[in-house]
Amino acid sequence: MSSLRIVPLVVERDIRILFSDSFLVGIMFANFAIDLFITAVTFGNLIPRTTEVPNYFLYIAPGSNLITAAVAAFQSGRDVWREKYIKDLTSYLLSLPTPRIVLALSRITGGVARSLIATFPGTLVISYLYGILFDPRIFAAYVIMGLFSLGIVGLSITISAFASSIEVFVTIRSGIQLYLSFLSTLFYKTEVFQTSAPLLVPIVTSNPMTWAVEAFRSLQGAHDILGPISILVAPSVAFAMLGTASYLYYAKL
Amino acid sequence: MSSSAIQVNASSEIPVTVTSRTGPIVQIALRDIATLFRTPCIIISRSLAFIVQLFVFATLISKLVVVPGFFQYYAIGSVVGTIASISFIIGYDIFEEAEEGVLDYLLTLPISRRQFIVGRALGGAVRAMIYIIPMFVIVAILEGFVNPLSLGAALLVLFLLAFGVTGLSITVAVSVRNANRFDVFLALLELAVSRASTALYPIAFMPSYVAALAPFSPVSFAADSTRAALTTFSLDLPGLAGLIAFVVVFLGLGAAFYFRKLEGGVYA
Repeated sequence: MSSLRIVPLVVERDIRILFSDSFLVGIMFANFAIDLFITAVTFGNLIPRTTEVPNYFLYIAPGSNLITAAVAAFQSGRDVWREKYIKDLTSYLLSLPTPRIVLALSRITGGVARSLIATFPGTLVISYLYGILFDPRIFAAYVIMGLFSLGIVGLSITISAFASSIEVFVTIRSGIQLYLSFLSTLFYKTEVFQTSAPLLVPIVTSNPMTWAVEAFRSLQGAHDILGPISILVAPSVAFAMLGTASYLYYAKL
Repeated sequence: MSSSAIQVNASSEIPVTVTSRTGPIVQIALRDIATLFRTPCIIISRSLAFIVQLFVFATLISKLVVVPGFFQYYAIGSVVGTIASISFIIGYDIFEEAEEGVLDYLLTLPISRRQFIVGRALGGAVRAMIYIIPMFVIVAILEGFVNPLSLGAALLVLFLLAFGVTGLSITVAVSVRNANRFDVFLALLELAVSRASTALYPIAFMPSYVAALAPFSPVSFAADSTRAALTTFSLDLPGLAGLIAFVVVFLGLGAAFYFRKLEGGVYA
């Protein structure tokens, strides 16, 4: 059997794990719905229209979906952690007839697939709100979600390789989610940081959430779909490579 | 501290007499308080969340919103939201104990079931209060809340919320069997209870479908009552009444579900 034949099997296994409890997928969508239809709508009413941000609800709407993607991506890392420390499945997975690098890349691909599935309805909702539902730009929207998920899955697998306990994993996850949510342009433009907290500007501009959310926002008026996507490619691939290396390191333990 | 002899029922039939320096409820509560401080990761992550929310999000967003004094509104609300969030943690502890078999050990303790459950809820609420006080102090200093009576009233409201949420968390912990499902469901519940409330934004700006429900959220009761105590030195009686009802209902439900789980389907 070609070693690459195992890739779809491992991806399928990861997707099956996601759907082993379909309730979880439903809850992730509910999470997105609360973020979008309660928090985003309320802040949309609280913040007046300006020339820079004509509709604050639409401004923060993609963030709800990207947060859900991050939650789903971190769930992949958590599953990898559980396989090692709770289910004791590492020996079985390492006995699969495939090079370990292929196994590691398959796990990352599986994580991205899971994240795309979990955010599939959310991406449709945001695309509808952005008026790109029946437009080729919707494919760019899914590519953005996939690239963002790729980076976060890589990051979450890296954390799972080094976290000795679930508490440590959850704490690091919470810290990263705070960084992604509040130290990015998800809620406010970079100019707001420049006037009120200039020291945070480098942190905000180097945040993957900033790149992803800005890429998504630019879809609304974009004619060239490659432009918004291209900014995400390098950092996401870098994080995915880090995740792969960490998985390989973890597999040697 | 004097020793006291306590007669308790370990199995509802065999009376056992134990001698303890403190009451059994207090012993159980102290154990839960110690558990929180043995997991500093939780304290670090929630404290970090509070600090970032207050000093980054609230500071920046209050410059954009149309409501005057939004920072103060959000600051009080984030204390209320954080105490609700930390009170949910007791559910994770109970779930973990059941998974790891520690619950079986706890059941062998010479303490009645009723004392055990009240002790757990009390421990969950007290540890949430211990955890929240530094944040409460930060907000009080930032906003200049100095009236001891209003500070006391606000702390009482926060304690009631913590007590009720602990009951709610216990109810969920003993109702959901799957670990992943429990984790995500509790996170969702936490999100729903705090977001569909007046903790973080005024009801007037909520969409109508949330504005209709938000007044009945326990977090709204607590947020409105805390704001009334701190900013207008008054008691929000409907809010307090709602909060007390929430405590009674969920402490009762939590106890009933816990009893059922403990006794294999028979209510004690």
